[in-house]
Amino acid sequence: MSVGKNIKHDSSYGHVTGESIFVDDRAPVLGELFVGVVGSPVSKGRLKGINHKKALAHPSCVGVYTAEHLSAKKWGAIFHDQPILVDEEIGYMGEPLCIFASSRREDIEEIKTLFDFEIEEEKPIYTIKEAQASDSFVYKAPKPFAQGNVEEAFKNAKHILEGTFIVGGQEHFYMESQACCAYPMENGQIEVHSSSQHPSETQRVVAEALGLPLHHVVCVVKRMGGGFGGKESQAAPIAAYAALVSKYTGKPARLILTKDEDMVITGKRHPFENDYKVAFDDEGKIEGIKMILRSDAGAYSDLSSSILERGMFHADGAYFLKNVHIEGYAYRTNRHSNTAYRGFGGPQGNMTIESVIEDIAAYLKKDSFEIRRKNIYQGKDLLTPYGQELENNMLPALFDDLYKSSDYQRRMQEIIEFNNKKTGKLKGLSMTATKFGIAFTARFLNQGNALVNVQLDGTVQVSTGATEMGQGVNTKIQQIVAHAFGIAADDVQVMTTSTEKNHNTSPTAASSGSDINGAAALDACNKIKARLSELAKLVFAGKESNDLVEYEVGKGSIDADIVFTENKVIQKSTQKEIALKELINIAYFNRISVGAYAFFKTPGLGFCKNSVEGKAFNYYTQGVAATEVLVDEYTGEMKVMRTDILMDLGRPINPGIDRGQVTGAYVQGMGWVTTESLFYDEKGHLISHSPTTYKIPNVQDTPREFHLDFISNDDNDCNVHRSKAVGEPPFLLGSSAWTAVKHALSFRSKEGVVNLTSPCTGEVILGELTRLKSGH
Amino acid sequence: MRKSIIVYINGVRHELEGKAAFETVANYLRYTKGLTGTKVVCSEGDCGACTVLLSRFDGEKMGRVRTINSCISFMYLLDRCHLITVEGLKKVDHLHPVQEAMMKHHGAQCGYCTPGIVCSLASMTEDAINDHIEIDDKKVKNYLTGNLCRCTGYEPIIKAGVATDLEKVSTFSSLYGHAEMVKEFKELSSVDVAIESQNKKVFLPHSYQALFQHGNHANMKVTSGATDLGVLVNKGKIDLQEIVSLNNIQESYQIEDSSKEIIIGAKASLTDVEKACEKDFPEFSKKLHVFASPQIKNKGTLVGNLVNASPIGDTIPFLRVSGAKVVLHNGTNSRTIAIDDFFLGGYKELDLKDDEIVTKIILPKNNYEFKLYKVSIRKDLDISSVSMAIAYKMDGDIFTDFKIGIGGVGPTVMRISSIEKAIIGTTLDQNTFKKVAKLLDTEIKPLSDIRGSSDYRKLLSHNLLLKFCDEVIVESGKTLSEASV
Repeated sequence: MSVGKNIKHDSSYGHVTGESIFVDDRAPVLGELFVGVVGSPVSKGRLKGINHKKALAHPSCVGVYTAEHLSAKKWGAIFHDQPILVDEEIGYMGEPLCIFASSRREDIEEIKTLFDFEIEEEKPIYTIKEAQASDSFVYKAPKPFAQGNVEEAFKNAKHILEGTFIVGGQEHFYMESQACCAYPMENGQIEVHSSSQHPSETQRVVAEALGLPLHHVVCVVKRMGGGFGGKESQAAPIAAYAALVSKYTGKPARLILTKDEDMVITGKRHPFENDYKVAFDDEGKIEGIKMILRSDAGAYSDLSSSILERGMFHADGAYFLKNVHIEGYAYRTNRHSNTAYRGFGGPQGNMTIESVIEDIAAYLKKDSFEIRRKNIYQGKDLLTPYGQELENNMLPALFDDLYKSSDYQRRMQEIIEFNNKKTGKLKGLSMTATKFGIAFTARFLNQGNALVNVQLDGTVQVSTGATEMGQGVNTKIQQIVAHAFGIAADDVQVMTTSTEKNHNTSPTAASSGSDINGAAALDACNKIKARLSELAKLVFAGKESNDLVEYEVGKGSIDADIVFTENKVIQKSTQKEIALKELINIAYFNRISVGAYAFFKTPGLGFCKNSVEGKAFNYYTQGVAATEVLVDEYTGEMKVMRTDILMDLGRPINPGIDRGQVTGAYVQGMGWVTTESLFYDEKGHLISHSPTTYKIPNVQDTPREFHLDFISNDDNDCNVHRSKAVGEPPFLLGSSAWTAVKHALSFRSKEGVVNLTSPCTGEVILGELTRLKSGH
Repeated sequence: MRKSIIVYINGVRHELEGKAAFETVANYLRYTKGLTGTKVVCSEGDCGACTVLLSRFDGEKMGRVRTINSCISFMYLLDRCHLITVEGLKKVDHLHPVQEAMMKHHGAQCGYCTPGIVCSLASMTEDAINDHIEIDDKKVKNYLTGNLCRCTGYEPIIKAGVATDLEKVSTFSSLYGHAEMVKEFKELSSVDVAIESQNKKVFLPHSYQALFQHGNHANMKVTSGATDLGVLVNKGKIDLQEIVSLNNIQESYQIEDSSKEIIIGAKASLTDVEKACEKDFPEFSKKLHVFASPQIKNKGTLVGNLVNASPIGDTIPFLRVSGAKVVLHNGTNSRTIAIDDFFLGGYKELDLKDDEIVTKIILPKNNYEFKLYKVSIRKDLDISSVSMAIAYKMDGDIFTDFKIGIGGVGPTVMRISSIEKAIIGTTLDQNTFKKVAKLLDTEIKPLSDIRGSSDYRKLLSHNLLLKFCDEVIVESGKTLSEASV
């Protein structure tokens, strides 16, 4: 049986041979044009005029297109406030002002330099503080998440710590930059092949930009070279640019951003600056905590409201907070419009409380594990700040198991002894957790559909709205379908995602791709199996069909007595069996459908943010990580020496793929909090716009010793095959590298508390060490 | 004179004239040959998605297959080479064992970095078989330093590398049979190549003599590995019109090792330099290890790094304290000057005349001890915030000689003579170094930029000097009661 097996990724052969086709690998079409994007030279201002005479005079330049060519001027994932091309107000440095078409790929860079703009420059806002001072918002959470009485807790508190937790943004650094090919079709239709996590949104934005009805636009997504949230909303305007050129020229158009352009134009993970005040007792038990989350949304709203809310949803981390008050504000600044990124605000919320707990431990001179263990959700303390009870709580078992398996106690003792020796090196060890809520918090997005076609040779094609970006959603769907029919995974092909087969799809996001689309695919399989089961019973019963009499099965029904296994259909009670392929052919000749479309919605969800009540999440994926770091006191350099991770993934559909999701997410999270530093000059240019200047983890940065295990959990009965979503939750564990640095530095702090910002580059660490030693 | 370059791609002979010769290797493969397995992500040799394998004819045979970044390499640099792309790793339906291992161990997720990773791992297996090396985690990581992956966290890739079945690997020479290309390349050994296309010219002389006969002048750019120039071209910062490449000058690849010195030719790759310096300059060899990726080191040269003369050029602090000498040629005259005289003090200001080229660097074996430091945001494959080299000699506890070079703190890599004077003759002592390190406050005035603020760079230089002292104390067998920081 296929589900639960560690089978290979369904694209792995193409990937290792270089045969997999990405957008820019598509064969050229005669007459194809290449699209260039021209960005704003200022961070804020009014666009008064575009002089494109010189560009148009270039022999390769076919046309220049501005906001005037657009049928709809604005787009937006939630609120339509972002210009597709700037028509008047410029929101950020590098924002697309116009596009052009070139007959030659190699002339794009040259043509780009041939534009002049008339702009009235205005004073930009670059920081959360500046935005706060000018009351510049994109969103305020309508109601705080609150339980108990936090002010009362502060009054009675034995100890209080307060401060601001500051964490930077993060570039997605998907390897394949934003890309799209647009093809004009008959009858005014257009087909876009996009590197998009959200084909339906891409379809809609293209249709609106071009003034086309939706049935004239098809968006096709074969695969992405990485997404991580960066292609959830942001693929859409890119596709609209290519489509716009196609519309006006009647030619196919290809738009492939360079890495530098992509990093400048597109938004990133939101930086946050979160104020906190926490009250706790002598043992480190949190009595009350107030957190005010402030995010830098950038120039437009994009998904910032939902991201802020997910930050608030995860500000409790893994910890029960009896008296709690969480507020949230998303500020408008003149930066690229920040967007979805793996974790979707969750990491920024979660890391705040992990930082606070690390401080509490250092302040009380206690082991942070002890403090965490005391505060986690356990026993009857299961109520979250937003009123949902934590069900299927694995946190105590996760913490206790990893404590043992990582040899935490002995290592902590050794670290204390080592640090007391003053060798010029410091070690740190910290265990943090993830308790990630699974479901889109916008309820309507928790829907999906699937199309399953069984072919006469017994092989199956399945199509869903899920998009493959490396995470293995296609492989999991392949396994679910193969499992359903009792056939080999190789006999199931997951087809290219396309809005003409699956419409009104949700983005492949919120870690939910396999949950929603897998469940829809399973439902479609079950519809076919119901008919085939009914048919099998007729066949086994010896009923005949001939030219005059047909088998009739109607909707059929699933029957526990009929099993599909090893390419056969077996009636258990009679031990009769028939080859699946034969049964399918009988169905075909008796005019019984062996294809099905199914629709799935996650049941039981509904959360009202105005009243803060209801069920926001279907379930939680949980896990813990213990990270040990070594810090060089001379230079501030740090190295992750060992990481132990224990994850609760229910019953994984593919343990191998899930392992890769966990190691990948952890290292990406580690990069976010250590070396990935976004750097802007005073004019607002992003200076770290390529891998020379923006440092994602390298193979040498991976933990020297890396242990990963899954805890056994058979009880997640609210998801397909009792599996759990895996994409985002382990990302939050990367921050244990940062809390471990805090732990290491606390040995040089008189009062214990360490003021570390994230990412903790060598400069940040050395700066804080210097401050701690000077006693200021 | 030949007006084309000849290169074999996956075993098939290609002759390129005109415009095609000026294309980057990646673009040629992708958009002319339709070999789209090779990906381009950063166009600056920093991500490795474009990694391909290259074997160069060395005058006698096809050399060892090595990885290069195809995005910053130009087709004209591939004359008399065999280029193997990801498409060329498998023969008919037989996957390379590295490909099999990558599939089995989930080494590929989104697949965009995978072709580059597979090529890097294939070069590892090639070396492992030829040099009889065992493969472990560390080896795999060293071969992958130049390949970024954003999906996997590398762990599955490392596993795949270690699990690769070496017994199933057939070397590229057996896979492709090099006899035919060797025969042809031998015949071409004494022929110069000149190619023109629109406003661009490239000249590939077969000897230094031919180079100087052709003439060398200010408008002409002499390239060796082009690892920096390639980036500048891709990012539109330079338009190379007239290029002379040392590529076909066989003698320029030479490294001569005698009892007195190591002489490094202008085209000797950093990979070869790293190997050649293992015995006599182990500290330098180790530093080259984290200097750059294998792809860059296979193309980039020590002379290139020197002449590029960046204040953050990673080999320069070492060259400055090692007493290296620079050999310059203009066709008629040759002169050998001390490295300190080669640097004139200003930003990229060198004692290098328009008609001269650097043909060699001489590293004298003077029995110095070395300590080299490099601090960057990311440990590997990153540009320094500060780099420091110290060469010293001790008689018991006393420093009899001390030379210090620091990069990243001024317009050029600097020797700090006040510190040198203050240390020579003193005893190894933490307090002395603490006092001496204060001299840096007035000696250096670093800039603030993306790689660190001025204050940070000052503090780093200061602390590295203290680190040096502490390390020497520990290495001399004494106990360090408390670190200097």
